Amino acid sequence: MSSSTATPVLAVQGLTVQRDGLLAVDAVSFQLVRETDTALVGPNGAGKSTVVAALLGLLPRQAGTVLLMGHALGPAGQLPRSVRAQIAYLPQSLALQGRFPLSVAEFVGFGFDPPGPRLPWAGGQRRHGAVQRALERTGCRDLGERLLSELSGGQLKRVLLAFCVVRPRQLLVLDEAQAGLDAPSSEQFHQLLLELRRQEGWTVLQVSHDLEMVRRSCDQVLCLNRRLRCSGAPDHALSPARLAELYGPNVVPYRHEHSHGGRRG
Amino acid sequence: MVGVVVDGAALATLLDQPFMQRALIGGLLTGSLGGLLGSFAVLRQLSFFSDALGHSALLGITLGLLLGINPTLVLVPFAVIFALLVNQLVQRSHLPADALLNIVYSTSLAFAVVALSLLETYRGGIQQLLFGDILGIGWLDLAVIAVLLLGALVYLALSLRAQVLLTLNDDLAGAFGVRANWHRLAFIILLAVVVAVSIKAVGVLLISAFVVIPACAGRLLSRRFPVYMLISGTLGGGCALLGLLVSGLTNLPSGPCVVIVQFAGFMLALLVSQIRCWSPSTAVPAGARTPGAAQAARE
Repeated sequence: MSSSTATPVLAVQGLTVQRDGLLAVDAVSFQLVRETDTALVGPNGAGKSTVVAALLGLLPRQAGTVLLMGHALGPAGQLPRSVRAQIAYLPQSLALQGRFPLSVAEFVGFGFDPPGPRLPWAGGQRRHGAVQRALERTGCRDLGERLLSELSGGQLKRVLLAFCVVRPRQLLVLDEAQAGLDAPSSEQFHQLLLELRRQEGWTVLQVSHDLEMVRRSCDQVLCLNRRLRCSGAPDHALSPARLAELYGPNVVPYRHEHSHGGRRG
Repeated sequence: MVGVVVDGAALATLLDQPFMQRALIGGLLTGSLGGLLGSFAVLRQLSFFSDALGHSALLGITLGLLLGINPTLVLVPFAVIFALLVNQLVQRSHLPADALLNIVYSTSLAFAVVALSLLETYRGGIQQLLFGDILGIGWLDLAVIAVLLLGALVYLALSLRAQVLLTLNDDLAGAFGVRANWHRLAFIILLAVVVAVSIKAVGVLLISAFVVIPACAGRLLSRRFPVYMLISGTLGGGCALLGLLVSGLTNLPSGPCVVIVQFAGFMLALLVSQIRCWSPSTAVPAGARTPGAAQAARE
C-alpha cells in the first residue's frame, strides 16, 4: 500500500455535536480508507445527516477532530481550498419552488468551477466538455437543456450526481442519494459509484435506509443511533441481532442472495 | 400607451428639462439595480424582506427628522442595521419568516406614522415618502446609485456560482466551498443599501415592486441564469424609463406610473410564457409544465 493510500481520506475522532441544545451525535469515531464505499445507517433522528454536516464543516462540533485528506477541519469548517475542491456532496433535495431559471448544463458547470471568486464565462471549452462527459456518464445527456425545476425526483438525483462527478475528486458524500430512483437508474448509479472508486480512486460515504443496497454494495457499515452502535463489514454489522439492536425487534432483514460485484475483494 | 396620443413637441420639451433628464437616468439606474438584485431576492423568497425594509425606511427617515439629521444620511445605516437585526430574528426565532416580517414591517410603520404626526414642521409631506419623488433626484444621488449598480454587478458576476448554489441549498453551497454565511449577509446588506438609496426616488410603498416585478417577469421568460439576470435588470430599467415618460406626458405620479408599466411588462411576460408552454416546438413534458408539478413529483 502506498503512502497516499495509507492516509485515510477521512478520519473522525470523538465527534460530538449538539443541535438546538440537544446531544445529536455523541463521541463518534471512524475512518474511511481510499477507494472504499461506506454506509451510514440508523433509524430516523439517529444523527446521520448531522454527522455528515459536521464532517463537511457545515455544523459546529462540541468536541472531536475531523481530518480530511490529512488536513484538520477548522472549528468553523475551514479547509484549504485545494482540499475543499476534492470533496463532493449530494444533498437530499434542492430548494426549487416554482420555475427556477437554471438549465441542467449550467448547474453541472458550477460543479466544475473551483471554489472562490470567478467570472461566470471563465473555463470555456474545457468546462463545456467536462459537463457533457458528466451528463453522459450519469445518463443525463438528454437533460442538458431542461430547467432544474422541470426534472422529476429521480432525474434530479442523477443531475446532482453529474454535478458531483464533473471534475475529479477524492471523497463523495451522499445523503440518501438513491432514494426515489427507479431500478435501472439505481443500477446505473451503483455502477457509476463502482467505476469512480475502482478506476478513479474515489472514496464514498453514503447515508442510506436501503439496507439491501448497503449489504450488496458497501465495504463498511457504520450503525448510528446518536452513538456508533457497531461498525464493520455488512455481514457483521447488519446481522439480525445487530439490526434488532439498532432499529428495534420488529425489523425483518431481507437477504438478496446474488452478488452485484460491488464490494472489493 | 394608456390611451395617450404622444405629442412629439411635448416629449421634446420634457426631455429638454434637466430635472427630467436626471429623473430618467435615476429611473434607469434604480430600475436596473432593483431588477438585478430582485433576480436573487425572489428565488431566495426574500420578496417580503425587501417590502419590510421599505416600510421600515419610513421609520429611519422619521428618526432622522426627529434628530435633526438629514434623513438620507440616516437611512443607509438604519436600513443595514435593521436588515441585520431582522435577519437574526428570522434565524433565531424559529417562526415562519413571512409572519415575522409582517410583525416587523407593520410595527415599524406604526411607529413611523406616530412619530411623523409629532413633526408639525415637516415640509416634505407623507405622500412624497410613500410614493417617492424621482423628479427631485440630484446628481449626487445619481452618482451614488451608479456606484451601487456597478458594485452589485461586479459582486454578483464574481460570486455567481456561490449565489446560485446558496439559493439552491445551503449545505450544498457550504460543502463546495461557498462561505454561505458571509455571502448571505453580504447580499442582505447590499439589498438594504439599495432599498435605502432608492427610497427617495421610488417611495416606501413601491420599493418592493422594483425588486419583485421585473425579476418575476424575467423568471417566466428565461432558461439560462445570466439571461434571467439580464432580463430582470433590463426590464427594471426599461419599465422605469417608460413609466417616467408616461408620467411626464400625462402629469400623473411618477412612482405609480412606473409600477403600472412594470405590471404591464409582467403580464406580457406571463402571456409569452403561456404561448411558449403551448407551442409544440418548445413544450416541455406535461408533468413539468406547471410550477410545483416537478416539485410534487419529487415528493
